[in-house]
Amino acid sequence: MITAFIHKFSSPKSFVNLTEKIYPFLIIFGVSMLIFGWAWGLFFAPQDAVQGNSYRIIFLHVPSVIFAELIYFFMAVCALMHLVWRVKLAAYLIKSAAPIGAMITFIGLFSGSIWGIPTWGTWWQWDARITSTLILFIMYLGILTLHGSFSNLEKADRLMSILVIIGVINIPIIKKSVDWWSTLHQPASISVSGSSSIDPSMLYPLFISVIGLGFTLIALGILTSRSYIFTREKNKRWVLEHV
Amino acid sequence: MLRLIKAESFKLSKKLKSWLGPLLIMVLVLIAFPLSIDISQYDLDKFYFSIIVVSLLMTAFVATEGMFEEDFEDGSLEQEFLIEKDFYKVVFSKILVYVAFIGIPIAFIGALFSFANGVAIVSFAKILLLLSLSNLLLFNLFAFGNALSINKGAMLGVLTALPLALPVIILLGRAIRSIQFDEGFTAIIALMTGIGLIISAIMPIIISAVLKTHID
Repeated sequence: MITAFIHKFSSPKSFVNLTEKIYPFLIIFGVSMLIFGWAWGLFFAPQDAVQGNSYRIIFLHVPSVIFAELIYFFMAVCALMHLVWRVKLAAYLIKSAAPIGAMITFIGLFSGSIWGIPTWGTWWQWDARITSTLILFIMYLGILTLHGSFSNLEKADRLMSILVIIGVINIPIIKKSVDWWSTLHQPASISVSGSSSIDPSMLYPLFISVIGLGFTLIALGILTSRSYIFTREKNKRWVLEHV
Repeated sequence: MLRLIKAESFKLSKKLKSWLGPLLIMVLVLIAFPLSIDISQYDLDKFYFSIIVVSLLMTAFVATEGMFEEDFEDGSLEQEFLIEKDFYKVVFSKILVYVAFIGIPIAFIGALFSFANGVAIVSFAKILLLLSLSNLLLFNLFAFGNALSINKGAMLGVLTALPLALPVIILLGRAIRSIQFDEGFTAIIALMTGIGLIISAIMPIIISAVLKTHID
């Protein structure tokens, strides 16, 4: 039953048709939320008692690193679907998500570096959280390079999926690194289940920025996936009819 | 299984370059590094472990670089795949032979050099055990990277396997500190043994799936 469901809704054609009308709304909603969240965070949220204005980079840094991990997790789920149920679309989604993941991880690392100067006095520290995030960035590059190395794209899809699944071990390491090791990073300030240690006047714009970036990335992901699907399925009749 | 180990041992023993090369690189790096920078014996005693760890990483990668490539090119991997029902056994025995022929001698060289640089003689066995376990982990991970890249060059193998090898290096660094400060060594060795056993059991299955993809 699950297999039938997956195969019905996961053909590239269904994906293209399903996302045809959704993604313009996602872009508009995502970008608007992002602008709103950033404007609130940058101009209206109060200064931090200790860090002053430098803390405001969290409105870019925190959403970036959250999605750096989430995108990889999404890729791992797709990889599993590709290997277990041989879903072609899952491989296409991994291939499309990887550059976005690499980009957002780089932004996370870069913005963290900028934040490091006023708070820690250094651009870079071999701290557990930063190092494991750097490993994640290299993983993204490795996945892209691996896929680009093979002319047989079906083979490249399968190898890429295996690598993605193996690399998922890094995600809990990143998440728990601040608890397992004594690092410069403070333990998590925001909690989904319990109370957050961050003030609501800063938490709300941060929350809006996370949602905004999330929707923007989903829309970007849909756009790149559609483009990749058209490239991979270019000889199929439905693509010719669609384009 | 024994047949496979014998066959792999025989094949590797005939490939002088494959097992002697990494050993020589290890020796060369360990000798050349202190000579190339003018550091005092005091500094050397402090930093020599780092040199050993980096050499270990490099050598493990060089040693596993052609692990599957030659067999893949000459068709013997495909032949084994057709003959052997449980293909992971072929991979497992290959890794085992590489660790025995190259990994343990490299660990011995590393331990020997640390002994020659002011480490107490009682720590020799600890370092040997630690480096051997690290090699077991690194050989498995690099075998995976090289299986993925198979004949596409070392660069791809490094990119795919190095991120996975870095946690091993972090663990190794902790273990070395535990030797230096003489505390918590047993706990770290137990952890590394556990991880080593899990990886040795799982990785051959994953690598065989990767090789199957290449052969298909």
